[in-house]
Amino acid sequence: MNATIETIEKEILRGGEYLITDVSSEGVFTPEDFSDEQKQFAETTEQFITNEIVPHIEEIDHQNFDLVVEGLRKCGELGLLMMDAPEEYGGLELDKASSMLVAEKIATGGSFSVAYSAHTGIGTLPLIYYGTKVLKEKYLEKIISGEWCAAYCLTEPGSGSDALGARATATLSEDGSHYLLNGTKQYITNGGIAQLFTVFAKIDKEHFTAFLVERDFAGFSVGPEEKKMGIKGSSTTPVILDNCKVPVENLLGEIGKGHKIAFNVLNVGRFKLGAGVMGAAKMALEVGIKYANEREQFKRKIASFGAIKEKIADLTSAIYAAESLVYRLAGLLDEKLATIDKGSEDYYVRYQKGIEDYAAECGISKVYCSEVLARTVDEVVQIHGGYGFISDCPAARYYCDERINRIFEGTNEINRLLIPGMILRKAMKNELPLQAEAMKAFEALMTPSFEEVDDTIAFAAEKVLIKNLKTLFLILAGAGVQKFMDKLADEQEILLAAADIAIQIFALESAVLRAEKSTPVFSERKRELLKAAVTVCAFEAAECVGTAARKAAFYIEEGDTLTMILSGVRRFAKYDATGLLAAKRALAEAASESEKYLFG
Amino acid sequence: MNILVCIKQVPDMEAKFAVAANGVWYDPTDLAWRMNEYDEYGVEQAVQLKEQVAGSDVTVLCIGTDKAKEIMKKALAMGCDRGVHVADDEVFSREPYEIAAIIAEFARDKGFDLVITGMQSQDRGSAQVGLLVAEMLDLPGISTVVGCSLDGDGLALSRELEGGVRAKVRVNLPALFTCQLGLNKPRYPTLPNIMKAKKKELITIAVADLLKVAGRQATTALFVPQKKGGGLVLEGDPAELADKLIGILKEKTTVLS
Repeated sequence: MNATIETIEKEILRGGEYLITDVSSEGVFTPEDFSDEQKQFAETTEQFITNEIVPHIEEIDHQNFDLVVEGLRKCGELGLLMMDAPEEYGGLELDKASSMLVAEKIATGGSFSVAYSAHTGIGTLPLIYYGTKVLKEKYLEKIISGEWCAAYCLTEPGSGSDALGARATATLSEDGSHYLLNGTKQYITNGGIAQLFTVFAKIDKEHFTAFLVERDFAGFSVGPEEKKMGIKGSSTTPVILDNCKVPVENLLGEIGKGHKIAFNVLNVGRFKLGAGVMGAAKMALEVGIKYANEREQFKRKIASFGAIKEKIADLTSAIYAAESLVYRLAGLLDEKLATIDKGSEDYYVRYQKGIEDYAAECGISKVYCSEVLARTVDEVVQIHGGYGFISDCPAARYYCDERINRIFEGTNEINRLLIPGMILRKAMKNELPLQAEAMKAFEALMTPSFEEVDDTIAFAAEKVLIKNLKTLFLILAGAGVQKFMDKLADEQEILLAAADIAIQIFALESAVLRAEKSTPVFSERKRELLKAAVTVCAFEAAECVGTAARKAAFYIEEGDTLTMILSGVRRFAKYDATGLLAAKRALAEAASESEKYLFG
Repeated sequence: MNILVCIKQVPDMEAKFAVAANGVWYDPTDLAWRMNEYDEYGVEQAVQLKEQVAGSDVTVLCIGTDKAKEIMKKALAMGCDRGVHVADDEVFSREPYEIAAIIAEFARDKGFDLVITGMQSQDRGSAQVGLLVAEMLDLPGISTVVGCSLDGDGLALSRELEGGVRAKVRVNLPALFTCQLGLNKPRYPTLPNIMKAKKKELITIAVADLLKVAGRQATTALFVPQKKGGGLVLEGDPAELADKLIGILKEKTTVLS
């Protein structure tokens, strides 16, 4: 019996495990695996955004928040706010793949999508995960119907990335019936339109705790709208707590355990942000392709020039990797969460633990996808030339709206530090045999390789590359740990480089596994394009990892060991990208012909 | 009211089409598929009538490959009660008479008060199927409907004619009508309804059980019309132009020989 359970658990790739093991494409979830129902969720969302939100984006960006509130209410009618809520409170409890797919499609709604994401994500999830029955009965229906809008108040003027450095306080009243909250929260998304706020404050200036605060509670007020660089139609305000009276039953979770709520909600939030920005990147790319097909210079469509083709091909491939990564992670989480008994008392505790196990991958989703979007909107402005710099041009809005994604839900720096941090912590707790694998990697470094690529295997060269990149990660992580021991956390430059390597490996592996798995369902022509995209992804990952690894080697080592590791970088980050130019041209030409992102 | 609504799966019309190897239809490779737009209005109308008349039942029928079930699930999520999938891998080679005969064969003796179809399909566009079904079932058939409301025991329909003219038609049930674009505003299936639709009945019938007629027409070729050659603009001074023109006429025509 025990043996059976063990084998079942073993089949699900655990968080961080991808770095030390060969992964087969068999169990990987891909967009080609969506059910008919999931495709319908996507269609409903897409049509709703296209018909009801996109025509009003301009007005929304002029801060007509009534349109945002009305849009959220319509989302409520369509069931788009109830995906994560438990069935007993009228929710649907859909899997992560479904909620990521909806997040991806919502993302084309500009500022509206930010209001939506904050509402359904950080706004609603604390209540779902940590709310008592009483609180859920009181608030959840209002939230999932869109009658009320929700917000999350963590950041303060003095504490952003250092979230636990919050200064807001909570003091229990003498009669023990309520807490008095004091302090100022800053940059609160949905501040101007929300009725329910998850507020973090320290009880007795010490115990970091979350509270559910209604807009109408005495002592609660909202400051003026911030003037922002982008996502102008999403409400962002300060929240002022001046002896704000919060009934004791509105305390969320446990006293002093607010950090659990703050961080666990952020794990899902980061993952979902990745899905959203990937959807936004697809849309921006499409606009760029269409413009390149229309615009003529030197009596030719600019889409016919290699300079433009290369951009379109690179972006298509990067988005393909982002998309593969997001749904692979959704599949992993769904598999993991499916093993937890929904009826059990501690369901959400185990649910959180399940998600926490993939905290590194959630961070990867956030960083990789937001940087793919950054690159996309930058190149899409470039494709538009001077017109891209004019505010009326949609590309200009995409460019401004994008910037915040690399800042909120944990800056990309904080997330990068967290990625190797989580993995090393797992190694310390003996949850990942990182040390043993690092030893093997060092041995590999000192053993000459005569390994030849077996051409009979699909994507053989890319699989060898992935394996080698993992070896490289282990060599550098091992070297870093050996040199700095538990002080490695202070060597942020090294951790950032390690994060880049871990991120690239996860993205490339996701792209290759998906390509392998979905090859049979694609036509001959699509298969060629798939191969082309994988070639571009592999070339870029090898280059990026090569740079990060060399940097890390210089940061960590010197002398003979440095020389040895540098030769290892040359060997393990090597990729024969023969046909790269033809691959890019084929991708660009197909993308221009269909005027779409090719694989979604 | 017992309603039958017929739908078809068609390619997304924004796709780039290529003629298939058989030369008589388009190549389905790599196309995205959706519900025929005209039929979406039909499904919406059927569901609206159901909501207005207590005890109504809506059956959605679709002839097609297994993939066609995708749009049937959408129709069920929009509010149809049950689905009948007529499994036919050769659906793209059927001519309108055969398609109509399959539908009529299914609908006969089922006691439908109303049959709704799209005015035409976006791909073949014959606009014949609905009216042929009406004829085969001996029902009054009303085409190009842009308005529909209950009127006593029957329906008050509005038809769109050429030149912006409308016609009002009253019909007793049973009857059949075909939907023009703009008849109503098709709803988005909500997420809860998409989930509920999973539990609705969706039966499959082999096309051989319903197809009792032979086709009477065949498409012999499908092709993209050749672009007419663009005009040629000559520039230069008059003497030079005359020389050029004479040169072209000699080279490309026989008028000067």
